[in-house]
Amino acid sequence: MPLKHKLVLPLVAVLSAVMLYPLAFSAWISLHDYRLTRLDDVQWRGLENYGFMLTEPAFQNAMKNTLAFVFGAVSLELTIGLALAILVRKMLRFQNFVRSILLAPMFITPIAVGLMFRFLLNSQMGVITYYLGKIGITIDWFGTELALFSIILIDVWQWTPFMLLMFLAGLEALPKAPFEAARVDGAGGWLTFRHVTLPMLRPVIVVALIIRALDAFKVFEYVFAITRGGPGDATETIMYFIYKTGFRFFRMGEAAAAAFLLVVVTMILVIALVWATKSNEELR
Amino acid sequence: MTRIFRLPSLGALLTATVLGAGALSAAEINVIIEEVPDYDVVKALTDEFMAENPDITVKFDAMPFDAMRDKILTSSLAPSATYDVIIVDNPWMEEFSRAGYLAPLDDMIAATDGYDYDDFIPALSRIGVVDGVTFGVPYYNYALGLIIRQDIFDEKGLSVPATIEDYVATVKELTTDDFYGAAMQPQKGYKIMEEWKNWLYANGGELFDENGNVIINNDAAVKALEQYVDTYNTAAPPNSLNWGFDEALRAMASGKAATMLSYNWMLPALNKKGGMSGDLAGKFTLQEVPGGKAVLGLWSWGIAANAHDKEAAWKFVSWITSPEVAKRRVIMGGAPVRSSVLEDPEVWEKGYGKAYYTTVKKILEDAAPLATGNQAEELIEIIGTELNAAVAGQKTPKQALDDAARAVTRAIR
Repeated sequence: MPLKHKLVLPLVAVLSAVMLYPLAFSAWISLHDYRLTRLDDVQWRGLENYGFMLTEPAFQNAMKNTLAFVFGAVSLELTIGLALAILVRKMLRFQNFVRSILLAPMFITPIAVGLMFRFLLNSQMGVITYYLGKIGITIDWFGTELALFSIILIDVWQWTPFMLLMFLAGLEALPKAPFEAARVDGAGGWLTFRHVTLPMLRPVIVVALIIRALDAFKVFEYVFAITRGGPGDATETIMYFIYKTGFRFFRMGEAAAAAFLLVVVTMILVIALVWATKSNEELR
Repeated sequence: MTRIFRLPSLGALLTATVLGAGALSAAEINVIIEEVPDYDVVKALTDEFMAENPDITVKFDAMPFDAMRDKILTSSLAPSATYDVIIVDNPWMEEFSRAGYLAPLDDMIAATDGYDYDDFIPALSRIGVVDGVTFGVPYYNYALGLIIRQDIFDEKGLSVPATIEDYVATVKELTTDDFYGAAMQPQKGYKIMEEWKNWLYANGGELFDENGNVIINNDAAVKALEQYVDTYNTAAPPNSLNWGFDEALRAMASGKAATMLSYNWMLPALNKKGGMSGDLAGKFTLQEVPGGKAVLGLWSWGIAANAHDKEAAWKFVSWITSPEVAKRRVIMGGAPVRSSVLEDPEVWEKGYGKAYYTTVKKILEDAAPLATGNQAEELIEIIGTELNAAVAGQKTPKQALDDAARAVTRAIR
């Protein structure tokens, strides 16, 4: 064996132990009726767990909620993050100060953010509902219609700063010449943004989108801290569904199958995003 | 001669000391327990136990409810237990016993003098018996009762509702623009199930019939859910769809509601002078739930099958649940589980009064657990989700219960 292969061997061994083995084991579990309280009675189920999940209304609903959450949260974060980045970039004074204030939400642990908003938006004692009530607005933030949207807003509050950070870095790295050329050609603010800034920023946008989307798929803390998936199943996300199946009901086989199905959906989304940028680059 | 005589005795003394020290440090019992008011009482009493038994150290790992189930599981699956004594919620009893996580207690109970096991209220001690073997002894009950604002009932000349129909009519009558007849707890999962099952009992329903068939969507159940949803829409505070017992309790304490179905030991908390209810303290009474049959909750003491020292663990468990200590625990504010304690005039006097303990006894005599079987926890979550969906208006009561029946049938397969 050549030396270079020998040198990489320890890393391969570590990765196999901490990644490949658990992954293979969970794939094996997903093909069995594997319950933590019945480990002496593990039975082969084949693809039955997958079939069950695909036809189970609760799983479909959780997937639908998750996709709605991901699209809703990430698109809002993208829009607001980009707008803020452009504004902050144009600031002549206090730029660093504003930047650090805006980034603060990102550094709070999500479960604390969940608990915080649970009380802020509480219909009986919430500060936000109280002051909205003072001006005659009553909103049931965690009622059936709004609950998922409220969770999206909380995610937007916490993670827009991440988009801001990415876009600020992206904007600062852009070459000056195309902007000067655009100005010389008489392009206004919107035209410059639409035809110069956006296309040049596209790679950064795609990376930010992929990172945020992958992260948003994992949403769990807000749901756990605030709604537990309710009212009914209005905010049950896929991670909460998997947690419930695996760690509350101890049905590990079904939970593993649901997790692998989530991997498939996530992969499709990421491939679609990457493909979209590639085809765009080819066009250019 | 003297020196020769002395040497071996010194050696013997040393050996005895070393062995003695070994025995002293031998027993350390780790207990997983929920952080609730009853735990504070148990903790205070345990200091006495350790003073009486210097050879046993009891360490508590108190935590919120949500953290317990998976910790018990991992401790039970490990070759050597993290927790020797486990507090078991009633929906987990059959699941954990049949999985082999808990040690049988029958022999230890029989060998303990003066334990008086039969003194536990039968509805409670029965929960700890799985397939004829005792795996748990009662710790504290959380059976549900009807808590009412007695002053309002007296003022309006209303009698305590005996049937669920009476209850619905009464709470509707009591509701005004800013005062509500019932502070309900329709929160998804455990909470709504805990409340609604009283309505199900009042309509003569159950989850399963005698033959084990799922009857959660029969006429009695649909009627119970229709009544519940109607009451939520007409007599409960608006936007209280996510309320659990703490929000309902706060509504009662702040004088916004006239009744609530809740744990029987909420009454002392509401009536405490200088407590959460302010001037309203003393105006609340505890009644049996309308219809008579109540939902029963119970935490039991169990000993882990893989515990390090089961004898020491039982010594502690049998001490804390013994008739004498059980009485003191209740006087200090704990929830009763023994008949002798409920009937003890000293407990009435030093505790919360005769009327309270008499009602608790009546409640406990006709009460049944939320769900039974290996999948009890899952069934509660499944049904509790569908019930909440019906209250939220996402589904009709019939639709929600049909969906619940389908999911329950699959879960117990």
